[in-house]
Amino acid sequence: MIASRAFKTLHAAALAAIVPALAMAATPAAAPSPQAAIAARQAGYKKMGAAMKALNEQLKSDAPAKAVMVNAARTIAVTAPDQPKLFPAGSGASAGVPTDALPAIWTDRATFDAKMASLIAESAKLLTVANGGDLAAIRAQAKATGATCSGCHRQFRADS
Amino acid sequence: MPLARIWDAPVRLFHWLLVGLLAFSWWSGEQHEMEWHRRAGYVILALLIFRIYWGFFGGKTARFMQFVRGPRAAFAYVRSLAHGRHVATPGHNPIGGWSVLLMLATLAVMVVAGLFSVDIDGLESGPLADYVSFDQGRAAAAIHHVVFNLLLALVALHVLAILFYLVLLRHDLITPMIHGRRRTGAPDQGEDLGASAWKAALGLVIAAACTYAVAQGFRL
Repeated sequence: MIASRAFKTLHAAALAAIVPALAMAATPAAAPSPQAAIAARQAGYKKMGAAMKALNEQLKSDAPAKAVMVNAARTIAVTAPDQPKLFPAGSGASAGVPTDALPAIWTDRATFDAKMASLIAESAKLLTVANGGDLAAIRAQAKATGATCSGCHRQFRADS
Repeated sequence: MPLARIWDAPVRLFHWLLVGLLAFSWWSGEQHEMEWHRRAGYVILALLIFRIYWGFFGGKTARFMQFVRGPRAAFAYVRSLAHGRHVATPGHNPIGGWSVLLMLATLAVMVVAGLFSVDIDGLESGPLADYVSFDQGRAAAAIHHVVFNLLLALVALHVLAILFYLVLLRHDLITPMIHGRRRTGAPDQGEDLGASAWKAALGLVIAAACTYAVAQGFRL
């Protein structure tokens, strides 16, 4: 009885959380200004870079801490899916704020989006592997995820 | 013409190894060959530590006490150059001494910044980067980047100065840095620079040990 009531309230709470989220997803959100998009994506990349650094430090250490690695992997996996939306037209050099985003992002959007998709896929895999705790697998997947970062940067980010 | 010794072997080796390593570091950095870039940086760090040690325990012309002169001596030297009364100095001249210090200091900033640097992806880093945050590591990388341009400018100035001596003063500074001797009007007194082999060996051991510790991030 008690358990089922608890389940019901949980269910209701979950619905309460999901419904507005769905509604928000259905109605297109107001596009962020180019400057706001640049700030948001840079913050996101910084978070992922810091997480990658934390993860690699664990992998280099003699006794890698699983919790730290899972946390780092989660940060990347959760942040990555937001990034592609943060490149609206006009958020390149013309936005008037410092950005290393190259024009190729908008002239070759399909390639850019494909690279973004592979970051999202690899980082999701990274989180799964980190949760699994197999060091060799984490190391390999961290490398694969990192390769999507540098691969995309080489093509779409100014090497200042 | 008689020859006088002016540069001991460690000074000359330091100089030419540094030339090669700077070029290699530049290339490997541009190519994102970070494993090689790090290794080159370690050798430069060892060279730098050795050169500072040698500045106290090396041959006569290698010592800071001998070649670091006050501003008055430096200005007097520039005046003598301007009046065309160039007198060759045994070792670094008062301006060259400051140039050496400036280059060593810039190189030290360069190496230290590199030790703490992190790349934009959080993939590659210097051996001490785990002691700092991602943002601090990025700041170190920015310093590493800016100071490299300063270092290039100093190297260019160094080369220009050598060309100035060669062409305008007809004074060759290059070959003495290769074989260590300079033509002089005076007969060679057979003067020894006082560079000791065992002191050089000790300096090499110290430099290697310090560099090893740094490369391991002090986790020995």
